[in-house]
Amino acid sequence: MKLVGAGYAVPHWPEQWPGGGRSLAEQKVIYEELARADSPRLLLSFVSTYHAASTLMECGSDEQRARYLPAILRGETWCQGFSEPGAGSDLAAIKTKAELRGDHYVVSGQKVWSTMAQYADKCLLLVRTSSDGPKQAGITFLLMDMKAKGVSVRPINQIQGDEEFCEIFLDDVEVPVSDRVGEEGKGWVVAQTTLSSERGLTLMELSYRMKGALNRAADLIRQNKRQDDVGVLREFGKLVTQVDAACAIADKFLENRIGGVERIGDASIVKNSYSSALRAYAAFGVNVGGIEEQYRAPITFGDLNTGNWMADFMNSYAWTIAGGSEEVQRNIIAERMLEMPREPKSWVL
Amino acid sequence: MIELAELHDSAQKAFPADKLMPERDTSWALAAEMGWLMIELPEDQGGLGLTRQAAAAIHYELGKVLSSAPLIPAMLALRGIAGAADFAARDEWIERICCGEYVPLNMLPARIEAGADGKSNGTVPGLFDADMASHVLVGCGGAYHLVPLDAPGVRLVERKLWDQSRRVFDLVLEEARLDANTLVADGALAASLHDDIARSAHLFLAADSLGGATAALEMTIDFLKMRKQFDRPLAMFQALKHRCADLKTQVVAAEALLWSRATGAEQVSVTDLGAMKALATDVYRRVTEEMIQLHGGIGLTDEHPCHQFMKRAMLNLQLCGGLDHWREAAGRAALRQ
Repeated sequence: MKLVGAGYAVPHWPEQWPGGGRSLAEQKVIYEELARADSPRLLLSFVSTYHAASTLMECGSDEQRARYLPAILRGETWCQGFSEPGAGSDLAAIKTKAELRGDHYVVSGQKVWSTMAQYADKCLLLVRTSSDGPKQAGITFLLMDMKAKGVSVRPINQIQGDEEFCEIFLDDVEVPVSDRVGEEGKGWVVAQTTLSSERGLTLMELSYRMKGALNRAADLIRQNKRQDDVGVLREFGKLVTQVDAACAIADKFLENRIGGVERIGDASIVKNSYSSALRAYAAFGVNVGGIEEQYRAPITFGDLNTGNWMADFMNSYAWTIAGGSEEVQRNIIAERMLEMPREPKSWVL
Repeated sequence: MIELAELHDSAQKAFPADKLMPERDTSWALAAEMGWLMIELPEDQGGLGLTRQAAAAIHYELGKVLSSAPLIPAMLALRGIAGAADFAARDEWIERICCGEYVPLNMLPARIEAGADGKSNGTVPGLFDADMASHVLVGCGGAYHLVPLDAPGVRLVERKLWDQSRRVFDLVLEEARLDANTLVADGALAASLHDDIARSAHLFLAADSLGGATAALEMTIDFLKMRKQFDRPLAMFQALKHRCADLKTQVVAAEALLWSRATGAEQVSVTDLGAMKALATDVYRRVTEEMIQLHGGIGLTDEHPCHQFMKRAMLNLQLCGGLDHWREAAGRAALRQ
């Protein structure tokens, strides 16, 4: 809330919002400085200020924007109900069903990998409203109240002891038709907007935070008295340049998007550049930190630097798996950007 | 920006992608005729007054076709001479170079010992295509000397390269005179010239490398789409797609870093540019290694150009400081921040 007051919480929003309308250059400075100062990422607000906001700004109705955006600035938190047990990389295979009854949908099914769903007020929900035709065509995008009757949430214990992700169970949950984004059956396109905001803007914030956080790695080198170890210095120099390249491609991506010359696959390149740099960053810390990093330590959840490099290393998988895994991004780059042919659809055991 | 796009475009027209390793002497004459030698020279000195970024754009395109014309060492030498305010013959030499005379700067560190009698002994490696030159610019011991190749105690020795797109020579000095007659710059001026030249060298080598990497990757993907095994194009196999996607990601990210550092390079540290060059040449190497592997047997044959890209990439890695050097320097610099 202090960041909202100072106008630093949502620098990526348009200028009619308080704290919005910052230039890209200003945004980069804000993110790099926040990371340098070790300021916690606004993790609880991540989905609300990026995913929900960009979905509403691009695809929502005026009435939805007026109702939800001010609430997000006041601190209302959102989660994302996209993946399901049977629909991960193949997201369009979702089965959670919504049936239109009068002025509301009745939703039943199960969602998984919803970040911070246990604390969320609202949910960006993908549901199936039709099973006819191509699987993408039967998908509808809803805004669901997490306190509605029939919603239950179970946090999932992760390998680093965190409970960042949750399962959401939906049992005849009623969602008003006024909370549908876009038309019925057109939810897949809306979902692409949500996901592309993740692969674009958020990655600029994260890349510049990673650049700012390189000073944590420098501290670690000094703490372990490795500052004259040529092998460590080379590895560090390589890492610094890799992080700089991840920042440069995130910049270029936004420049292209603003200039209207974004190409299919660009966002995937940005995401994979970030996730591999992040993995290298954490692996560097685990290596230089030595045995100390193998002892469990009290850690701050949700930040780039939890205080333990082994935990950071485990956390780095969130970016090579979530939001379209590294492998899915490679397919997009190869098939849609490099135009390498798709494999035949059908297969027989 | 339109200017840059035009430069890329005119370079592509002059050196079309389907003609790899165009013949050296005609390429050199064409490059000189296009005015590329004086691209960075201020307009009041008879140049085009464009930025380093513009020059890098040319090297990017020439890298794509494995250019044999030694434009990089020539531009570096010109930058050195043009920046040497106290050099009496400066304007004469600027004119000679802009008219197409080739003067290279050494792109590997010189090993020279100066004797008490004012005579020098040693070797200056990394002089590209010095057989085309009558003089070479030698950077050594904190000074720059313009050495005539017919001076006493001076001789060129060609070092046969694996890279067939370029020729390189050692300048061997035996009791040779590097003195006031050959001096172009020394002291504080030479030091600042060194940094200025190094900035260009890293940008140009990175541009050459990423142009080459882009062309090599494109050729490889085209080959995978065309070559059929198991009744399908090789490009359909996910194992190969993912390797291509990773290479594409690395090339595009390195390129983003190149162009971001090329803009306002004066404000970027030499170390940051050297680290960027290390990344670019390393990506080039990786692409060309994969290029040969993914082409299979044909990639090992002399008649297919895969090996030419790989050999050029490996040589670029070694010029103006290698991977280990720049990674360590970047690590030390980041540790100081």
